[in-house]
Amino acid sequence: MNNPAMTTFTIILTVVLYIISRKIWLKTQNALLAPLLLSTTAIILIFHYSGITFEQYKPGKAIMTFLLGPATVGLALPLYLNRSILRKSFVPILLGIICGSIATLTTAVVLAKMSGLDSVIVASIATKSITAPIAIEVARIIGGDPAIAVAFVVFTGTLGSMIGAGFLSLCRITNPVARGLAMGVTAHGQGTATILHEGQTQGAMAGVAMALAAVFTSFIAPFYITWLLK
Amino acid sequence: MITLLKFSGQTFLLWAIYYFSTLVVKTFHIPLPGSVLGMIILFVLLASGVIKEQWLTTATTPLLKHLSFFFIPIAVELMEWGDLFLQKGYLLFLPLVVSLLVALITTGGIVQLLTTSSSKDEVN
Repeated sequence: MNNPAMTTFTIILTVVLYIISRKIWLKTQNALLAPLLLSTTAIILIFHYSGITFEQYKPGKAIMTFLLGPATVGLALPLYLNRSILRKSFVPILLGIICGSIATLTTAVVLAKMSGLDSVIVASIATKSITAPIAIEVARIIGGDPAIAVAFVVFTGTLGSMIGAGFLSLCRITNPVARGLAMGVTAHGQGTATILHEGQTQGAMAGVAMALAAVFTSFIAPFYITWLLK
Repeated sequence: MITLLKFSGQTFLLWAIYYFSTLVVKTFHIPLPGSVLGMIILFVLLASGVIKEQWLTTATTPLLKHLSFFFIPIAVELMEWGDLFLQKGYLLFLPLVVSLLVALITTGGIVQLLTTSSSKDEVN
């Protein structure tokens, strides 16, 4: 099954499409044109019409994702650099992140279960508000599927970037710390990038919230989510 | 050239932490992603001064900037689930949208309430 030429081709294709879609996104700044969304769609369409199977893509996938684990560990660095803000209002921040994380995953799981969706889908939907590198790992632990988890994470991040700030204003949530944290808990990396346009405080809080929400959710996942899924 | 060497060395350090924490999680059957344990270990190492932030930034800056690249190969696997999404995709809309709004209002509301009561003049 291992075909070096095909593996090389799929890697080059992925890298080139990523570079192109990143350029498009930087020019347009449109959340719907995020590089991940655009390049994944393009690759799936190309594979679909050229008859390349996912099985042929797997060796390339293993090479390309090799650095994902180390990169995820690196997420500790921005969290460390923002530790002074964290210390300043520790209790509100922690309470906001914990309650927000529990509320969102509970709502998602309960509603998905009521819709009669497959258990793999319901388990994957529980990870939709955590940042993608950790969402795929948590999905594996609780019986979800990493690819579906990424799809939900991206959907949530995209929608959150588009309507999040407007919805917060509609609910009269004007405090910059609250706005940043809410976007980080809800829409992780994409939300953080969006709310950064409002100011440094909002951006930094969102980054902190994204990392802490992911750590918190992965701690409760094997107990709380597994119990919810029953 | 020096940047490339620095990048490789720093990435190796991150990889070593990741490898160690994945091993610990597996050996002791801890239901936690290895990368999360790695994050916690790195945070502790930074906070205690064992590792300096300058030792890592050459690697973390580009890695985190292009983090979304790594999810392309993972998300491509969705092609295996195409039919399911076409048939049941509409059912996903409600849970995803409602839970998104719930998260925004819960976190935003709680934090605003708690920080406003402690420092009223700052917000108004």
